[in-house]
Amino acid sequence: MVEGVPQNGGYMVAAYIVAAAILVGYALSLYRRPRR
Amino acid sequence: MTLIQKGRVVSLVGLVLLGAVYVRALAFTPTEATQGLAQKIYYIHVPAAVWAETSMILIGLASIFFLFLGDPRLDRFAEASAQVGAVFAAVVLTTGPIWGKPIWGTWWTWDARLTLTLLLFFIYLGYLVMRGAVTDVGLRARYSAVLGICGLLLVPFIHFSVLMFRTLHPQPIVLKPSAPSLPGVMLVTLLLSFGVFTILYIGFVMQTYALALAHEAGSDG
Amino acid sequence: MGDVLRHAWVIARKDLLLEFRSRTAFLSAAVFTALVLTVFNFGRDPTAVATIDLAPSILWITFIFAAMLALNRAFQLELENQALEGLLVAPISRRSIYWAKLIANLMFVSVVEAIGLPLFVLFFNVPIGNVLVPLVGLIVLATVGFVAVGTLFSAMVIRTRFAELMLPVLLLPFLIPPLIGAVQVTAALFAGRPLSEVEGWLRLLAAFDMCFVTLATLLFPATVNE
Repeated sequence: MVEGVPQNGGYMVAAYIVAAAILVGYALSLYRRPRR
Repeated sequence: MTLIQKGRVVSLVGLVLLGAVYVRALAFTPTEATQGLAQKIYYIHVPAAVWAETSMILIGLASIFFLFLGDPRLDRFAEASAQVGAVFAAVVLTTGPIWGKPIWGTWWTWDARLTLTLLLFFIYLGYLVMRGAVTDVGLRARYSAVLGICGLLLVPFIHFSVLMFRTLHPQPIVLKPSAPSLPGVMLVTLLLSFGVFTILYIGFVMQTYALALAHEAGSDG
Repeated sequence: MGDVLRHAWVIARKDLLLEFRSRTAFLSAAVFTALVLTVFNFGRDPTAVATIDLAPSILWITFIFAAMLALNRAFQLELENQALEGLLVAPISRRSIYWAKLIANLMFVSVVEAIGLPLFVLFFNVPIGNVLVPLVGLIVLATVGFVAVGTLFSAMVIRTRFAELMLPVLLLPFLIPPLIGAVQVTAALFAGRPLSEVEGWLRLLAAFDMCFVTLATLLFPATVNE
């Protein structure tokens, strides 16, 4: 039985975006915190 | 360069390299035949999980040394590690379900990694909330150290209990998403991602540490 | 070591005498346990899920909540009237204080559990007659773990704002591994499985107890040292 590869690319994109959002968002929040 | 500037540079380098890993994972790493593209979430999910757990171990070690040496730098580092650990845990806890849905059919699975990371996340939050609730700096540091050491000791217990639970109640896993035998190209991508997360951890901790230091100096001065 | 325990017992006795003379805390905890069990009963559909499947979880969640109540008032006594300072200047080791609190808390929680268990059997019709002894042994084993960590954390939490909220937030993640073990063993007992099947869980619980009682004893002085 030859099955095609599952078409779940959408999830991959979503996860990559979410992860990037968290990391970049955190980096930005650190950048913008009040500095001495 | 001050510590915070150095930290920013390191973080920036980390984020740029993260972009490079993204490109490599998405475009230049083969797609796994049985799981499809969603398997690639693995390259982000796993290194984040490793660092979410390593943060706790480092907090525990720093806490032990703090109780013996009393060096406030250790306490500051532990606080920084808790914040960054919580962020990485958040990455794990968000990418995990997004990975789980296509692969295992449900958003949440009580698999070893997710369960451990969830508990760690709660411990990080508790740690940070407690620090916020204690006004005396010396007391705060001691309490944090106690909590940190307890957290460190809890980690093996979580591992064992989850392992035993899952042996007892095997989830119907048709695929083996965490297969250790990764072909070469995929393994390299994973290792590169792990390196990037290491850089990000260091950069973020440097910045958080520097900010805590500045905050303390600000409130004294 | 003998001194530590002796001093601990003296202080624990004082705490327990205070508790049982006023009886308020104790009665509240007992009533609370009964209420939680009642809520559980109405929160489920008996035709959908067999009681026996849920029973272990219900029992242990109830016990954990009851333990949390008990722990919350553990250092409350000292905080009022600044009795803690008095204890600290007394010529006894800090570890005695921890063990005193541990013993007192264990006694308190045990009594609440001793009331809760028969109620549980009554409300949920769980036949525990022939597994009573191992069940009680398990309850002791798991409770020691809960209370060991809980006593340590309640010492810290008492000096924070929102102490009653802080304790569950800090404590519950730590209770999950022993809770899993307790529920698994209880389920095995209710199902009539031999204890040997759940040996791993029992070892986990015993290890948890030993590790955390030891660790808490070592760390407790750090929570009260000035």
